[in-house]
Amino acid sequence: MAHAHSVKRHKGLMDWLTTVDHKKIGILYLLAGAFFFGIGGIEALMIRWQLIKPLNDFVTAQQFNELITMHGTTMIFLGVMPIIFALMNAVVPLQIGARDVAFPFLNSLGFWTFLFGGILLNLSWVMGGAPDAGWTAYTPLSTVAYSGTHGVDFYTIGLQIAGLGTLIGGINFLATIITMRAPGMSFMRMPMFTWTIFITSAIILFAFPAITVGLVLLSFDRILGANFFEVGQGGSPVLWEHIFWIFGHPEVYILILPAFGVISEVIPTFARKRLFGYSSMVFATILIAFLGFMVWAHHMFTTGMGPVANALFSISTMLIAVPTGIKIFNWLFTLWGGQIRFTAANLYATGFIPTFVMGGVTGVMLAAAPADYQFHDTYFVVAHFHYVIVGGLVLGIFSGLHYWWPKMFGRILNETIGKIAFWFFIIGFHLTFFVQHFLGLLGMQRRIFTYLPNQGFDTLNLVSTVGAFLMGVGVLIFLYNVVITSMRPADAANDPWEDGRTLEWSIPSPPPEYNFKQTPLVRGIDAYWKEKMAGHTEMTPAEPVGDIHMPSASILPFVMSVGIFIAGLGFMYHYYWIVAGGLGILFVCMAIRSLYDDKGWHIHPEDQVETNRKGVKA
Amino acid sequence: MSAPHPEQVTSALPHEPEKATLEGRNKVLAFWLFLGGESVLFGTLFATFLALRNQVADGPTANELFKLPTVAAATFILLVSSLTSVFAIQAMHKGNRKLLQIWLAITVVLGLGFLGLEITEFYEYVNHEKYGMTTSAFSSAFYTLVGFHGAHVAFGVLWISMLIGQLSKKGLTVVTAPKVYVSAMYWHFIDVVWVFIFTVVYLLGKVG
Amino acid sequence: MATQQDTNRGSAVRHRHRVEGPQKHVVAFIFSIVLTLIAFAAVAAGGVNSSFTIILLVVMAVLQVIIQLAYWMHMKDKGHMIPIIFMAGGFFVAFTAVITALYWVWW
Repeated sequence: MAHAHSVKRHKGLMDWLTTVDHKKIGILYLLAGAFFFGIGGIEALMIRWQLIKPLNDFVTAQQFNELITMHGTTMIFLGVMPIIFALMNAVVPLQIGARDVAFPFLNSLGFWTFLFGGILLNLSWVMGGAPDAGWTAYTPLSTVAYSGTHGVDFYTIGLQIAGLGTLIGGINFLATIITMRAPGMSFMRMPMFTWTIFITSAIILFAFPAITVGLVLLSFDRILGANFFEVGQGGSPVLWEHIFWIFGHPEVYILILPAFGVISEVIPTFARKRLFGYSSMVFATILIAFLGFMVWAHHMFTTGMGPVANALFSISTMLIAVPTGIKIFNWLFTLWGGQIRFTAANLYATGFIPTFVMGGVTGVMLAAAPADYQFHDTYFVVAHFHYVIVGGLVLGIFSGLHYWWPKMFGRILNETIGKIAFWFFIIGFHLTFFVQHFLGLLGMQRRIFTYLPNQGFDTLNLVSTVGAFLMGVGVLIFLYNVVITSMRPADAANDPWEDGRTLEWSIPSPPPEYNFKQTPLVRGIDAYWKEKMAGHTEMTPAEPVGDIHMPSASILPFVMSVGIFIAGLGFMYHYYWIVAGGLGILFVCMAIRSLYDDKGWHIHPEDQVETNRKGVKA
Repeated sequence: MSAPHPEQVTSALPHEPEKATLEGRNKVLAFWLFLGGESVLFGTLFATFLALRNQVADGPTANELFKLPTVAAATFILLVSSLTSVFAIQAMHKGNRKLLQIWLAITVVLGLGFLGLEITEFYEYVNHEKYGMTTSAFSSAFYTLVGFHGAHVAFGVLWISMLIGQLSKKGLTVVTAPKVYVSAMYWHFIDVVWVFIFTVVYLLGKVG
Repeated sequence: MATQQDTNRGSAVRHRHRVEGPQKHVVAFIFSIVLTLIAFAAVAAGGVNSSFTIILLVVMAVLQVIIQLAYWMHMKDKGHMIPIIFMAGGFFVAFTAVITALYWVWW
């Protein structure tokens, strides 16, 4: 077995284009996600600047429509989802004691298709106008009759391509978690973050095909002249609403469950206590995912489905508060009596709990169908979903980034600057969105580009805009922190928080290419903590030291994504020979991948670094 | 990872070569997951079709359009092709590469026959019945659902053809076996989808 | 799923597979053909109560799909717990979409 295959190792840019290493792909996801998060943030600030005073003319109504559409779409599909993928790539294989994901090649393909989908969507800004029908792209507003530019075509094709990447990633992580766990790591010994990623991937698997179909139907309507949503030819706009939300509501749980996972890792570490109610946490996660597929029509209470449907979806929606409540109490009981350290990561995590509860409570208010008739399409709804997505997910992301930054980059982010950024962000956040509840109750509709003076909206909008800019300052401070940290030497210990509980903290920061020199043997929940308590400094190996087989780097995923990108652009402009060319590139690459076996290469024991080069404290 | 590297196991092909390596088992498992997603994809297309099945505008209705003999022939062809791909896998489990290739080739030919029937049917509708993609919501839903299935068949035909060639070049190994097994799963799934298509689209269309 | 199963499977497992010939699959095929024929015949005959025919058609399709999944796709075999869970999940979501289309798009 010990014969090595000759392997060409790439350097510099080529290394990043061809990498199949989950840790590097995680960094790529983080960079791309941060880039789009920045774009979405600038769009948000422009929206708030327009609304700072009545009858403002900073942007036109059309530009405002494009801004809100792209803000929502960019943030959800291209900003926070890739950052979730960054965390899961960086952490999940380490947490389960694996050397890589099940399909390293597909992992790379998933990233590049997502990136090219995102680029295609954002090209709309310079190619004749961005989509302007809202992130939900409700028909008939999004049909050619009411949205004549190519904007919505960029939306359908761009999201289609990005969604393909997400789906590939989801399947990959499901397979990874099912088959690649280290010996002894049963399902009920998996860290909570891995559990939430497992469930999130399952939701991706079942929800994304629905939007794939929805986007196909909409693009066929717009590009091929089909009649799915053309009322005159028998189509039904309500069908779009259903398909969109059958995907759209599970999507909300795709976003929030990983944040739950992050919080469930950070709080036990910094409270120095085992996660309270581990099995109820697992159960609650699965229940949320299941119920998440049965509540989509609560977005459509005012569509007119009738009292029976409204009542059913009201009840199922309120039911979700039960498993979510279980989680909240479990976190509180984990903190209770713990030796709590308020690091930046833990500040974000503890800030998450009350903020997310507020979002959850307004969610239950909105779930009451009769009340929803009052709240619908007002700023109350805007406040609600920003409380769950920003107050929940984004706080969770920042918490996770602070927590795992040393594992990803070998450097601890500056704690003081991190805390300053936290306070700017959370105060700005509550200033921005808390007042929007009242704006909504006072009757301010969402998606309007301006409003008249003296309706009681003026002051609250000003406050909201000030808050938005404070959040922007918080993000800039975080970025500054990243920059100054990256200029320091990479000297983080294996277990920089000293109370790490899970497997990723038993290996160097950042880990070597093969992660684990010897696959660890897992003896319980919080595997590494268990070894520390037994007086060991490292994991018990489950195999002898030997050659480690690694997958080969490949440029094919990048080329395939370029092919899909070309085909998408061609389809949008009716150049079918370009579509054929793009798909040709894709199919040729697939054939090459299948015909030439990837034999991979080996790392010999003498080239493997000592796993325990830095001291570990229990 | 701890799985034997493919070269280790070539000496004697195990009974189920598709599951002999971790890579092979991963591939089969991930393909099952993919088929779970495909079920939602086709489910949503079926939902679209069902919602729009009576929305014929000025175009022909399902009852006026569909001819059962063609559908019955297509159904029979696809059912037989599913059986031949079962036989292909059995040949693989016996380690008989030649027989495996023959059964796969028969499957491909049957798949082409199915595609031929479907293309003829679409051609008839468009040219003689004035029933195209843009005729009505019903027609859009029909072409999208049945066309998606047809595209899956076409992709399967290309894929299995490529595998036949690959088997000649590389032989039946623990690397090629999972590919064959997975393509057979794909082919069966296409058949399962067709069972729902001939029931929901054609037969229920005739009943009304 | 466990990685330890890499060593060639035991001879007992081999033996069980050896006896499995094409007969089962041919029987499954005949069942499929019969179920298909019943469905086509019910429609071709016409005149029967249409709501009865609809139920009959759906039952025939579901039976046939179960047979094909169980035998041809080996879902009845051991080690298919995860495939069953995920296929069931997919069918469940597909089913909700279909119910939606039937009852909540037009009113």
